[in-house]
This record gives sequence, structure tokens and C-alpha cells, in this order.
Amino acid sequence: MTRTKNGLRLAAAVVGISALALTGCTSAAEDSNSGDSGNSSAPITLGTTDKVTSLDPAGSYDNGSFMVMNQIFPFLLNSEPGSPDPSNSLAESAEFTTPNEYTVKLKSGLKWANGHDLDSKDVKFSFDRQLKIADPNGPSSLLGNVESITAPDASTVVFKLKVANDQTFPQVLTSPVGPIVDDEVFPADKVLDDQKIVEGKAFGGQYVIDSYNKNNLISFSANDSYAGVLGKPANSKAAIKYYADANNLKLEVQQGKIDVAWRSLTPTDIEDLGKDENLTVHKGPGGELRYIVFNFDTMPFGAKTSDADEKKALAVRQAAAHLVDREAIAKNVYKDTYTPAYSFVPQGFTGAAEPLKDLYGTDGKPDAAKAKKVLEDAGVQTPVKLALQYNPDHYGPNSGDEYALVEKQLEADKLFDVDLKSTEWVTYQKQRVTDYPAYQLGWFPDYSDADNYLSPFFAKDNFLSNNYDNPEVDKLIADQRGMKDAGERTAAIEKLQTMVAEDLSTLPLLQGSQVAIAAKDVKDVDKTLDASFKFRLGVLSK
Amino acid sequence: MTITSPPGQEVSPIAAPKAKNQGGGFLRYLITRFLLIIPTVFILITVVFFLMRVTGDPITAAMGGRLTPDQLAARIHEAGYDRPILIQYFEYLGQIFTGDLGRTLSDNRAVTEVLTTYGAATLELAINAVIVALLVGIPLGLVAAKFRDRYPDAILRILAILGYATPVFFAGLILKLVFGVWLGWLPISGRADWETELTLTGLQSPSGIYWLDALRSGNMQAFGNVFQHALLPALALGLLTGGVFLRLVRTNAIGTLGREYVEAGRSRGVSEFRLTTKHAYRPALIPIITVMGLQIAMLLGGAVLTETTFEWSGLGFKLAEYLTARDFVAVQGIVVLLAIIVAVTNFIVDVVAALIDPRVRY
Amino acid sequence: MTTPTMSSSAGSRFKSLPVISHLRMSSGLQRGMLVAGLILCAVFILSALLAPLLAPFGFAQSSDASGDFPRQAAPDAKFLWGTTSTGYDVFSRTLFGAQTAIWVILAAVVMSLFIGVLLGLISGYLGGWFDRIMVVLADAIYAFPSLLLAIVMSIVISQGQSSLFGGIMAAAISITVVFIPQYFRVVRAEVMRLKAEPFVESAQVIGASPWRVMFTHLLRNSTRTLPLIFTLNATEALLTLAGLGFLGFGIEPTAASEWGYDLNRAMSDATSGIWWTGLFPGLAIVLTVMGLTLVGESMNDLNDPRLRRFSRKKAQRITQSAQSGADK
Repeated sequence: MTRTKNGLRLAAAVVGISALALTGCTSAAEDSNSGDSGNSSAPITLGTTDKVTSLDPAGSYDNGSFMVMNQIFPFLLNSEPGSPDPSNSLAESAEFTTPNEYTVKLKSGLKWANGHDLDSKDVKFSFDRQLKIADPNGPSSLLGNVESITAPDASTVVFKLKVANDQTFPQVLTSPVGPIVDDEVFPADKVLDDQKIVEGKAFGGQYVIDSYNKNNLISFSANDSYAGVLGKPANSKAAIKYYADANNLKLEVQQGKIDVAWRSLTPTDIEDLGKDENLTVHKGPGGELRYIVFNFDTMPFGAKTSDADEKKALAVRQAAAHLVDREAIAKNVYKDTYTPAYSFVPQGFTGAAEPLKDLYGTDGKPDAAKAKKVLEDAGVQTPVKLALQYNPDHYGPNSGDEYALVEKQLEADKLFDVDLKSTEWVTYQKQRVTDYPAYQLGWFPDYSDADNYLSPFFAKDNFLSNNYDNPEVDKLIADQRGMKDAGERTAAIEKLQTMVAEDLSTLPLLQGSQVAIAAKDVKDVDKTLDASFKFRLGVLSK
Repeated sequence: MTITSPPGQEVSPIAAPKAKNQGGGFLRYLITRFLLIIPTVFILITVVFFLMRVTGDPITAAMGGRLTPDQLAARIHEAGYDRPILIQYFEYLGQIFTGDLGRTLSDNRAVTEVLTTYGAATLELAINAVIVALLVGIPLGLVAAKFRDRYPDAILRILAILGYATPVFFAGLILKLVFGVWLGWLPISGRADWETELTLTGLQSPSGIYWLDALRSGNMQAFGNVFQHALLPALALGLLTGGVFLRLVRTNAIGTLGREYVEAGRSRGVSEFRLTTKHAYRPALIPIITVMGLQIAMLLGGAVLTETTFEWSGLGFKLAEYLTARDFVAVQGIVVLLAIIVAVTNFIVDVVAALIDPRVRY
Repeated sequence: MTTPTMSSSAGSRFKSLPVISHLRMSSGLQRGMLVAGLILCAVFILSALLAPLLAPFGFAQSSDASGDFPRQAAPDAKFLWGTTSTGYDVFSRTLFGAQTAIWVILAAVVMSLFIGVLLGLISGYLGGWFDRIMVVLADAIYAFPSLLLAIVMSIVISQGQSSLFGGIMAAAISITVVFIPQYFRVVRAEVMRLKAEPFVESAQVIGASPWRVMFTHLLRNSTRTLPLIFTLNATEALLTLAGLGFLGFGIEPTAASEWGYDLNRAMSDATSGIWWTGLFPGLAIVLTVMGLTLVGESMNDLNDPRLRRFSRKKAQRITQSAQSGADK
């Protein structure tokens, strides 16, 4: 009921404004901020260059869409601001009741913004629907471990899992596959149109959407019926403005037209904005990892080359690891918006170690002598010819600068002769699996668990398809998922990183930071920049 | 788009159909010419369909960095993109004939919705630009003709060439630098501030053309905001076309200024001003109408660079985005619309040309 | 300007070569504009030819014996026009950009000229169903927004690879596809007109083969307008190349220097008040296009009797020299 009232009020406000404007005075939409939701802070506007693919959780698997979903849909578990760990949100309790059964009890009296009841039927519906639709753009692959879902009563949901005691499962419930949707609005077998979701007011998160202009402008107001862990938003109204071009975003935040600029400004822009006294640059730990992948079949001395030699191939990878200067790349190319990554798991995650610092180079600095020695010891003739590929259009425009510098670093002591090439994204994805001996990739996690940086990369038949196969690593990856003891699991994750660092299936270079630029009067931006990588509009106020 | 018809080229007539047997008359010409729209549109659809399939699929574009090759292949199979291309082609043709343009693959929207939403923005930009072009091109062209081969003429012509020679993104860069960074006077991106946009899109049955909506709702403050945003893109695109107009008006006015009836008028004591504006102006307008038709088609069809530079969310801007995402459904939909607009405009231009000058109908 | 050699039929000596004859014909302001255009074109061609000698650094060089170049450094004595965000010297890149531009222009215009003229000849001469199909096809492609066609073609041709040759050919071929219909149309229209002329008919009566008629009689007479189109399309080729580069479908920076790409990267510099990375490549495009356009437009005016204006004496002189040229 309150919703309709608010809608009417907004409409009345708009009419009022038009009337006022006719007589030639006062400003536009800000006056419409007169909700009865208690907190009456000014609306917060966020600008971004991300894109929304679909608001329907079954139809998208990308940061831009997930960011919005996180404001408008409820989760069984979600991470509180400041922590990456899942805590109960819609759930009153959530635990393994048997090794293969994860049972969630819901809070009572939950409602959707449209007045429909929110119960275990909705929960079962949401996950069943993900599996059934399995949209090409959707995240259903994250539910790989789910065998079935049952709802024995209105407040209980039981997930039957294929692998026992999966410690990553609570994280999966906070991931892009985790939003719960209204079974009275969403169809069971196809992705719902964004506009229909807005019309059906199928919202259950901190906010409801008042007006939706896809990939241009979304305006939100607080959802009074939300009972999850994020609580009542600190602002009663918020808006997201979408930009195609980072430098337009930069100018608008500088001119005060928006309050916060979030993803993805260029390093030049960030540096320049840092000098602006009306703005603050907020930085938080980042989950983005940039790295070089080696194809074990086609790299120099790889298994399918004419002079295949496992030892020599390893020496080549190690020599490269000795030679790259991560600090120089971070500083010169990215103006320290990225930090050096000495591991496969970014710093900030439970279990993150820095094995590459100890094994290669000297104190994180490149060491040409060691590189030379490792190649000599293996009997590799120098310079080693290495074809290196990067992609100029998917991982930001600075990739070209980054790889030009990598090429220079590898060639500095004449140990390598790098043939650097770039290829447009779609072709790149088709060719990387078969054709490229060494190539650039980047990763953004699905959820905040170290496992998300290990199993997709180093388990057998991973998404890299670089023919890396170490049975020991494979087994330990499978084992750590089921370790109930946190200490034991952390130790296993640390050990895994060292094992992979010795094999060097990939060579991590940089770890991204989360950067948000906000006007000076915007409060609590830092609160949301944690290792959950979820931007919560609700914590901001001014 | 920077690539308008170059200043040196006369109205490039869309090749008129060559009816072998003479004597069909105007109606016959009209019908043949109209029927030619169909193969034009059909060829474009076909070309775009096959070219887009060669460039890759939207699933790899979106998911390539996250999934294993097997998972990708499974999803591509699910979506049906691995089926024989001819089957997909005929399916698509069938779909179009039923008037269904499908849903976009990369952001799940009805293509018709995309066309109406962004088409309105492109239309607005095109109208603004044509207004600028006419305001600049016609008076200055007449001035140039009047002072032909003297300094005002030379300066104006060089300015016109400058307008043609400056790529719109370079103009955008300079404008951003001057107005966005150094002076901060005018907005350099978007169609309105977000508050204004919220107000305008919240109106009852909005037309999507912002200044029209602002005027209809009597919201002068919103109109002012929309006007500010429209100024730079309209200038950038309008001056480009204005240069073409200037040149055309000049050439034709020179042609007519020398004619007997103007001379006769002069000997009768008609004022020079009146001679320039009335006597020389009228006939010089005919080729302008023709070129304007072509230019509108080009403005609509190819505002990609202008829209991208100023982040004007119109069809050209979206088309570039959809191309990168390999969203063939969206690209095909937009191209169908553009093809129809261009073909129909060309048809009208030809018919007007034929009405004015019967010799065209051979 | 590179002077296209196919010109008028009789006695094409130096003086009757397109640009030269135009220069002789012109006077006053018109001559001024033509000369200004020729100077700009000369500067463009010279910088392309002499780039390796004039440029202090390579186009993808970001360090020398004294260490890494500074990034985004303002213009100074060592870096005359400053450096880019990658640390490249803007001056050197702008010079080398002329090289890339000239390759693409030549390749694009020559290819479209050949294919377009050939198709136009055949289509116009043979007529019939082939002609009709070709006309409809050309119209359809002409109706397609040219830059979009170029984008799609560049993706198809290069498959997104970044090599120098691949990049240049991709740009050139995508531009070619757009231009063919224009040449096709002009030549075809001329051929249609000439076909009815007595000299063609007489050639047919003597029993000359269609190919011979086409290439000896029709080609020579129908290509008179082509030099003009050449200059105009050269500008379009350059603008299309820059547009492709700006939208990110062009040539990679380490493969070649390309003005459009540099402008693309300069956008984010501009919003931080760094003007030198964008200004110079942008001006290079503007001045080159202006030069070509000034030449083209002057030639057009001089060809158009309505617009040509020179003294009677001079006209006589020209007529005489043309005749004496023909007599030789």
C-alpha cells in the first residue's frame, strides 16, 4: 500500500514541479524527495561505465547487472558492509545438517515490495528456475554442485549437494546466482523483461526502483519491507547514471553533477581527480587479478612443439617470473590504481600468501642473473622466442601500455625475444585456447573465497584450457572445499599457492583496487569498499 | 558521421531506374522507383546478416573470459548459433516478415523498444543539426555568392572546408577541453542532467524528443537544460552539413545570379539585397532540398561518431555498442530500420527531383 | 598530389596533366586556394616520405639510452610536442602517422578505382540483367552508413589481428567496399552516355571485340572526372581510417602510428587538461583533409564553366596551348 502512496506522491511532486517551473522558479527532481520513510538525507547519485545486461538474475552474469541486483533483490546470505564473509540475511539460520544437505531456515513474515509473501516457495523457485533456464548469459554454472532443492515447509529450504561439506556453498548463495525472486511475478522457464520486473514491483532488497531507463538512468527509493542484514539504507533515495565513456563520467563527478564515480575511471583521470579539493579518492581491496597464461602445449618447449621438453618449458616460465617488474607496471602504467600481485589469490582473502615473492626475483624486484641461470641450467638457448598476446579492448585501454612494458622487461637482458601481438576480444577468446603460447587474461571473482581463484584455474579441465594438469594440485583443490576446519582449509589453500607457484601455470602480475571518487560531503564510502566487492548504495549519505 | 557527401560532389543521384521502353510517364516511374526499395532493403539485411555471423557470436563476447570452451560450446549450441547458417537466415527472414524483430541478445530488450527509444534521440539530434545547417549554410552561401572570388567568399569557403575536414571526434576533444575542462560552461555529454531526464521520462506518453517534451509540459527549466546539452552536438554535426549547404547554395546562386532574369531585374532597378534573397535564392533552393534529403538519411544512418563523441544515446551510439557485443539481433534490427529510412528518403528525393526536372525520368 | 595518369585522350603531356593544367588555368583567389591546397598536400607527402629521417624517435619508442621517457610530459626541448600516456613522442608519432595514412589512402583508392571502373565499364556497356543487378547492389551498399560497413568489414577482414599489413589492408579494403559504388556509378553513367556516340558504334561495326571497345574507346573517354573523385575520396579514406581508429577498430599502436587511435587515447588526457596528445594528431588530420579538399574543390570549380572565371586573354592562351599540344 505504501508503495502506491509513494508513487502518487511522486507523480504529484512532478506535476507540482512542472507547475512551479511554469511560473519560472526552483529546481527539478530534488524537491520530490519528501518520502515518509523517515530518513530524509539528500538523494545519492552514482555514476558508472558498467552496463546492465538484465535485471533478472537468471539472465545475466556480469558486474554491472549484479551491482543493481544487490540493491533490489534479497539474498539468503549476504555480506555485511566491512566484511566479505556471508552472514544470515533472509535466513534465520543456515548450516550443513548432514554432509550433503545444507538447510536454510527463513525469517518469518517476509514480504515483497508488492505485498506478496516471501517464503520457501520463492527460494526453491529462484534456484530451480536458474537451473531450468540455464540462459547463455546466465550464472547457472555456479550451481554445479546442487543436486536438488526442496522446501519441506514454508520457512525451510534444503539444498542437496553433490560434493559433501562444500565450504564455498554459503558464498555461492551471495553470488550472482543467489538473488531470490518473486514466484508470482517471474516466469519459471524464461528470463523476464526488465520493465516487467519494475512494473511488477518484484523487489525485496534494500531499494525499490522508481523509474527505470535501461543503461541510462535508474532511480531508487528505500524499500520499507526489507528485513535483511543490510538494514535500512542511510539515504532514502538514490540514482545510478550510466556512462559509455569514462572521461564523461570523470568530468561530471568533477563538476558536481553526480556524487560518486564508481568503475571504471582511467588511471590518468584518477590521478587528476585526486588533486581536486572537492573530491576524495576512496580505495579498497580489489578482487581483480591480471595475469599471463602459459599454454603447456604450445609455449616454447611445450608438449606439442617439435622440441618438447618439460624441464626447459618450466625454465622458460621461471625465467619470465624472474624478469617481470610488477611495481614498475603498477606505478608507470596504472599510477598505483593496481598493486603488484605475488600470488594467485589476491591479498585480503583468507589464506592469501605471496609465494612468488620468495621464489622469483629478489624481494619482489626482477633479477636478471637468476633468470639467466635458470635458463642456462636447463640448457635453454637464449634469447627464447616467445609469442605473447594481449587484448586491447576488454581489460581497459591500458592493456597495450602494460604489455608493451612487459615486452620491454622480458627483453631487457636479451634473454627473451618477444613477439607481441594484440587481437580483438571475440577472436581472442576463440583463439586463445588453441593458438596462443602465452597470453593476457583477467579475472573478477564470482564470490569472495580463495577457492574462486584456484579451482577455475588449476583444477583439471579448467576454463583456461592451457593443458596444465597436476594431479596433486587437482586433488588438494577438491579436498579443501570439503574441509570443515577453517584452520586446516587455510593451510591447504596456502600450500596450493606454493605448489602452483612452482609450476607457474599462470604468472600473476597485478591486483586491482576498488576505486570510488566521491564528493567531499558524501559519507561512508569506505564502508562498502571491502573484499566482498559489492557496492552497496545503502551505506552512503550526505 | 564525418563522411557526408564531399563538398566537391554534386548531388549524387540514386541511379534512376532505366526503363527500357520509354513513355511510361511519371506514374510508371513512381511505381518502379518505389518497388526498388524492396531489393535495397533486402540486400542490406542479407549482407548484414552474413557479415555479422562471420564476426563471431555474442556468447563468446560476453562469457569468453569466464567459461571453459566446452561450457561455451554448450551455450552456443543451446542458443542455436551452431546450426547451418542458411537455416538461421531463413528463420530470420520469416521472423521479419511477421514483423517480429526479436529481442537483443546482450541486454535482453525488445528490438522494437530499442528502435523507438534511441530512434527518438537520433531524430532529435538530426533535427537540431539540420536547423543549424540551414541557419548557417543558406545565408552564408548567399553571402559567399554575392562576394564571389573576393575575401568574404574565400574566408567562408575555407571555413566550410574546415567544417568538413574536422573529424567530429577531434572537434569533440577540443570542445571538451575548452568547455568542459577550462571554462566549464557547457555540458559535453548526454542529453540532459539526470534530474531533468528523470522528470522528462516520467511524463505521460513522452515523445522521447526531449525539447518537445519539455515544451509540451511547459517546463522551461528542463528546456533550458536540454538546450544546453543539445548545443555542442548540434553544432558539431550541423556545421559539418552546413559546409555542404554553403557550398551548394553558393554554386547555384552564382549560376542564377548571372542569369538573364536577374540581370533584367537589376536593369529594372531591383535592389541588390532583393536580387540576392529573392531572385537568386528560389532556384538555388531546389538542389538544397535534394541534398537535404540525402543528408537527413545520412544523419540518421550515420551519427555514430557524433553520438559516440558526445555520448548522445541514439541509434548510432547503440549500434557501435551492439557491434562490439556481437549482438546480431540488435544490429540487424537497427540496420533494417536505417535501410528503410534511407531507401524511403532516397525515393522521395528522386521523386522530387523528377517532379522538378522531367529529364531525370529517362 | 600524386597525379593520376589517365587523363584526356589526345596528347597528354605535362602541361595538360590534371593538376598542372588547372594551375595554369586559375587566377586570383582561386589560384591562391589551389596553391594552398597543393602546399598542404606536399607537406603531408613529405612528412610521410621523410618521417624516418625527420622524427627524433620511433613511433613506438618509449625509452632511449638515457632511460624511460616520461609519460604525459608537456612539450619541451627534447619532446617538441610532449609525450603520450604510453611515453611515446607525440611529434614522431604524428610524422609517422602520415605514412600510415598515405598507404591506406593509396591502397583504398587504387583498389576501389580498379574494381569500380571495371564494374562500371562492364555494367554500362553490357547492360541487361547484369547491369540491373549491379545497380541495385551498388545502390544498396551506397545506402548503408559507410563507417558502419567499414567497421564490420574491418572485423571480418582482420579478425581483430593487429599486424601492420593486416591493419592497413583491413582499413583499405573496408574503405574500398564503400567507394566502389561511387566509381561504379560515375563510370557507368559516362559509359551509358558514350555508348550512343558515333565512334563507339563505328568501332562495333568494324567488328572490334567488346573488350577492345570497352578499354580503348570507352575507358579513355569516360574517366575524365576521375581525378576529381580521386582527391575527394582520398579525404574520405583518411577520415574513415581515423574514424575506425577512434572507435577502436583500427591499427594497434605498436604496429604503426595512426592518428585516429592516438586521438582515441587522447580523450582521457583531454579531460585532465592534457592538450598536446590530442591536438597534434587532430590537426594533422584536419590539415591533410583540408589540403586534399582545397585541391579537389579548386579543380572542380575550374572544370565547371559556370564557376570558372578568367580573363579572355588567358582563355585564348589556354585554348591555343591545348591545340598545339594536340597537334604534336
